[in-house]
Amino acid sequence: MDEPHLKRDLGLVRTTMLGIGGTLSAANFVIIGEAAGMAGYAVVPIVVICGLLSLLTMFSYAELGTAIPLAGGEYTFSKVAYGGFPSFLTGWFEWLSNVFYTALSAIGFAYVVSYLFPEINIPLTAVVVVIVFAIINLRGTKETATAETIITIIVLAILAVFVVGAWVFLQGTPTTPESVAPIGIFGIFAATAYLFELYLGAEAVAAAQAEVKNPGRNIPLAIILSAVVLIALYTSVVVVAVGIVPPEVLSEQASPIAFVAGQALGPAGAVLVTVGLAIAGLAATNEAIMAQSRVLYAMSRDGYMPKVLCKVHKRFCTPHFAIMVGTIFTVIFAATGLVDFVVYAVNLGFIIGFSIVNLSVIKLRKIAPHLKRPFKVPLYPLTPIAGIAASIFLALFIEPSVLILGFELIIVALLVYYIKMVGYHRIRIAFGGVSLGLGAFIAYIAYLVGTNAILQSVPQEAVTLVLGFLLFVSIIQIIAGILNLLAADR
Amino acid sequence: MNPKTTLSKIVGVTQTAVGGVTMLFAFFIFYNIFDIQTTLGFAEEAVGLYLWTFIILGLLSVISGLFLVYEP
Repeated sequence: MDEPHLKRDLGLVRTTMLGIGGTLSAANFVIIGEAAGMAGYAVVPIVVICGLLSLLTMFSYAELGTAIPLAGGEYTFSKVAYGGFPSFLTGWFEWLSNVFYTALSAIGFAYVVSYLFPEINIPLTAVVVVIVFAIINLRGTKETATAETIITIIVLAILAVFVVGAWVFLQGTPTTPESVAPIGIFGIFAATAYLFELYLGAEAVAAAQAEVKNPGRNIPLAIILSAVVLIALYTSVVVVAVGIVPPEVLSEQASPIAFVAGQALGPAGAVLVTVGLAIAGLAATNEAIMAQSRVLYAMSRDGYMPKVLCKVHKRFCTPHFAIMVGTIFTVIFAATGLVDFVVYAVNLGFIIGFSIVNLSVIKLRKIAPHLKRPFKVPLYPLTPIAGIAASIFLALFIEPSVLILGFELIIVALLVYYIKMVGYHRIRIAFGGVSLGLGAFIAYIAYLVGTNAILQSVPQEAVTLVLGFLLFVSIIQIIAGILNLLAADR
Repeated sequence: MNPKTTLSKIVGVTQTAVGGVTMLFAFFIFYNIFDIQTTLGFAEEAVGLYLWTFIILGLLSVISGLFLVYEP
């Protein structure tokens, strides 16, 4: 009997809606206000520029998606182009980014809903949303994409009502821009890096490309259509927003677009937009669950993760174990609220992903010139090089604390990779070394505590207690390190 | 059970427990339970760094401890 496998169920409309729905997160309509505070009326061309920068990389997604139409998106591209640890690292960041993005979207939904129902429990609501959409994802890709299509159409309709209503209002009360960029060129650059996030999520099409019908035609069309629709949508929203409410006022609002809707369409308009943004949160949650599960599935398929994660459900033809594992992690992050801290990891992961995709296009054109490419990046190699430059530009604006977090995530990725790919005994030896290092490090901290170099403001009794505990832990770590290092190779 | 195996099990369980306590401590710091940030003089802006540092150190300890506990 044939093993169950992912089905090609997604047509052009559903695939395009995956791209649009994955991008329309509720948080995006909040950051528009903050960017307006940074760049003033220049926020309008910046939104267009960000869209065009994103489109550069989307062309690369389209070329690779049609040439290698397998599940996994960026991970699969880098696997073919580079293999080994680089591809594992890409998949690792892609999966983590989507796990965090799922939790963030669900929490974003809960926060937006709390404007209408202040008594709701935000973490509980977020957890329920994640579980509901995990069940929809388990039921089947077609069901997932249908839910995404319906949700996205509702959101687009609400935003269209907002834009048209606000535009009509704007005709009656024109405003005169006072300045283009209140804090100069740096403000414009900062706002560009900041607003690039608006377009993250459209690459979900690539993650689900193994389930797209007629991939040679539908993948590039869906990716480019998503990008064009998003540029048009965000630009029109920003035009009416800064036209009705001055940027400096807009930047002070918790929900800027709902505030603009309140000004232009009255309280009913504010409620309508709030509902629309809440639904957008649902769409992004739905898409991110799908994307993370497909990455885990692909990594498992290639032996980087336990084999059970690439099992496909016999009836629903979905990677049910990968969905469940991702959901467990998402629920933990959504319930603890830790996503507030790791939100930047999402951006970092996406920036790494974008760079890898552009590099993969260049590498594959060199090492596999005869690979069948139903779609080719226009103006090659300028387009992927410009995409890489855009990623480097964005990375310049990443906060140092985010880089530290990224470094730590790379260390964990290294551990996971070697645990899976290297033999048991060698891993044990490695952990023996790690334990010895930890023991020495903790002994050094104990020395600093004992000499009053740190914890100077802490009472002496507490210092003694901490010192004793550190010495105990240090000894345990050193003994554990020696025992692991001396373990026999069986 | 020979003495080396017994020692491995004891040290493994202790190291796993220390790792678990370290990760728990990370959450105590993050959520400032018992006003621990003030007690230990941790700067508020560095709390995220402490959180991840303790979680990763705790995780390493747990994995290393489990190697000793489940030694073949």
